[in-house]
Amino acid sequence: MIEGKLVNLRAREMTDLERNYRWMNDREVTAYLSMRYPLSLAAEEVWMREAASQPIMYGKNVFFAIDTKDDVHIGNIGFNEMSAEHRKARLGMVIGEKAYWSKGYGADAMLTFLRFAFDEMNFHRIDLAVDAENPRAIACYRKCGFVEEVRMRQVRFLHGAYGDGLVMAILRHEFYALHGVTQARSEAAS
Amino acid sequence: MIEGKLVNLRAREMSDVERMTRWINDREVTRFMGGRYPWSREAEEAFVRTTTSVPMAFADLRFAIETKDGAHIGGCGLHRASPENRDAELGIMIGEKAFWSKGYGSDTVATLVRFAFEEMNLNRVELHVYDFNVRAQASYRKCGFVEEGRMRDAHFTEGRFHDVVAMSVLRDEWLSTDFTDSHR
Repeated sequence: MIEGKLVNLRAREMTDLERNYRWMNDREVTAYLSMRYPLSLAAEEVWMREAASQPIMYGKNVFFAIDTKDDVHIGNIGFNEMSAEHRKARLGMVIGEKAYWSKGYGADAMLTFLRFAFDEMNFHRIDLAVDAENPRAIACYRKCGFVEEVRMRQVRFLHGAYGDGLVMAILRHEFYALHGVTQARSEAAS
Repeated sequence: MIEGKLVNLRAREMSDVERMTRWINDREVTRFMGGRYPWSREAEEAFVRTTTSVPMAFADLRFAIETKDGAHIGGCGLHRASPENRDAELGIMIGEKAFWSKGYGSDTVATLVRFAFEEMNLNRVELHVYDFNVRAQASYRKCGFVEEGRMRDAHFTEGRFHDVVAMSVLRDEWLSTDFTDSHR
């Protein structure tokens, strides 16, 4: 388990299935994800079984469940693409429980995950793609230190119109400058 | 076959494998592409066989580039096309270095973009190019591509990180340029 301030990140389990299924069929949740069709419980189960039965290792299945400190599963965070030579990855996050939106859980999950990515996985760059008309998410990412790099014009068709997308990224040294270098174990012990 | 001014784009054939293997093992060519490891003829043959033994379809198009007198000089394609978003990503390689900087690349890009908008009915074509590949960036600009941003340190090669430049052309922009007419 990876501990944040408000959340913990843990491996995904089959017992998460019902919640993931509910979130992936909630249009308010999926509107900003690259999903638009209803997803069957059977399809979600196949996908979940694949994910939950594999060990998490570099290059595949680096996806965690986000739990609050009192063990409420509220979302997921992980990498969709990783590249060893470029030491970069593309991140995806969802807070599926809408009651937990705009309360800092997403930002804490993000910072916890980024620290893990830089401290433990040795990445140099983490980026993400976000809908340009998703101000809540963009504000959260900015707060975490992500910088807007690319405005992808008319990249996404949603609700009857083309909308722009953004690529936002944070580099290793930027993360440490903003959020501090992790205290070495020997120092912490002394 | 799709006809440009200097080039034609045709389906790839197994008889192209020899040249393609040579190109993707030429570091001067691949330093502008994703690949970095040596690539066997068998691997290339398997890849070309998989992609040429089925008809081309919307989601992933791959062409051989030929000069008007039939010399096979490279490959290009439109990848990851999305029917809902009506966009795709363009890729191009001129493998025969004797044909660099002579307009063949630009003509290929123009021909592909025209095909994307006029035949595939796309709304957006995007591409990614490394910051040090200035020749290609100039060529894309000539074809109507606009720089949308730079992904910092997104590419590592030759001992250090490089930026990746994101460029795109939209249907409206392309249709409204003189370039369109001059290219029919």
